[in-house]
Amino acid sequence: MQKIPDNFEPAADTEKIVDVEIVAEDGGSIVERDDRRLGTPAADRSLTSAGQRDRKLAVRLWIFLPALFLTVSLMGGLRLASPDGAFVFVAPALICLIFGVVLMGLYFRGGMVALEGWFSDDFSTTQDVANAGVLVTLFAASVQVFNSVIPESGIPFWVVAFCFAWTLWNNLFAEFDNKKLLKSMAALFAFAFVAKYIILAGLTAPATDGGWLRSMIENPARETATWLLDLPRYSSGTGYIQFFCLLLYFVGLYLLPRSTISEVNR
Amino acid sequence: MKIKYIQTLGIVLTAVYGLFIVFLYAAEPRSLEEVTTKAISAVESTVNKGQIITGTYEIDQARFGEGLAAFRAENYVLARDRFERADPEKRDANTQFYIAYSYYRQGWGRVTNDDALFKAGLEALQRLPVIDPDFASKDPDLKLRTAAELRNEFEEGLKVTADDFNPFRLVRERK
Repeated sequence: MQKIPDNFEPAADTEKIVDVEIVAEDGGSIVERDDRRLGTPAADRSLTSAGQRDRKLAVRLWIFLPALFLTVSLMGGLRLASPDGAFVFVAPALICLIFGVVLMGLYFRGGMVALEGWFSDDFSTTQDVANAGVLVTLFAASVQVFNSVIPESGIPFWVVAFCFAWTLWNNLFAEFDNKKLLKSMAALFAFAFVAKYIILAGLTAPATDGGWLRSMIENPARETATWLLDLPRYSSGTGYIQFFCLLLYFVGLYLLPRSTISEVNR
Repeated sequence: MKIKYIQTLGIVLTAVYGLFIVFLYAAEPRSLEEVTTKAISAVESTVNKGQIITGTYEIDQARFGEGLAAFRAENYVLARDRFERADPEKRDANTQFYIAYSYYRQGWGRVTNDDALFKAGLEALQRLPVIDPDFASKDPDLKLRTAAELRNEFEEGLKVTADDFNPFRLVRERK
């Protein structure tokens, strides 16, 4: 056994096989063993598990993550009409695409996605295309998340869009790290979700078959707010769908690696 | 499974799922049942477009036959429906001519013509010169054989002239 000195620095040759035990100064021990010696059963087990780990990471990166982001893209524009619950697919407004581009810029600037770790001359063409696919689905999901939380029309659309523009513009010039950026985005979208699906949805009068006059008699305040703010009448199921849409988006962001080199190409 | 296969599978699945989402947003089905209906319609349309590109597009002869039978039985609404289904891509001059002709026969009146049907007929007829500028029908039952003759009937029928008040108009025959 070899004791590691305080000023120890790892050798440049990372492929060298070492068999060491790190002993902490205070007497406790942190065991870092690498038994990858060719020909031994332990080495075989280790190599098999490394291969399995790589495959698992590859499945997560190139199959699970795009599927997750595409599901977010699907759900982001999905609303349920009131009162029959029919599907309504709302295509994103142009402003959502612009916000999506700015958000991708933030992810690159904040270091959440390192571009050089996703595209490289050292990668095969298949890997570059697969990586591009993941980033395209991330962009689509980002656009649809804006589509989900920005009101569809009227004054609320302009107010919320302006708030997003203001925040994103400020963030573009702020210093971020991965975690702070993720927390900031989560807070931003959570606030917009509450504004649209709790506050504005609470102001919206339910759709009735009795016509405008009956609605005015039954629900004068909410009917007036709906008319003044030009609020669409969606079924309450829409809020649940969008909640899971946001949740899946942030799960995807959490699972998204900074670079694919550190994930699979080790 | 090799990493490269996983990457390829990922690309394929992403493309398929992405296309499915694009289809949903384009077709806008209102329920899960409608997804199937719209998917079948989209596949049929894609197949027809592929046939047009490859030059193998053909009308549905069975539906065309049903349309012709309805046309001869003077059931023009049913006839148009069958003709439109027989030629969904509106690429067959003969079928399009029958559609326009059905508007003429349905809209024709001994005293007055139905302007709405005549206008619809004129609109349907506009497709014909694009498909086949020299088209002439071979059906002996039709007295108007070319697009020019039929267009003239529509245009004359839509105009209000002194001739409209001629009592001899009552004895004229539908063509």
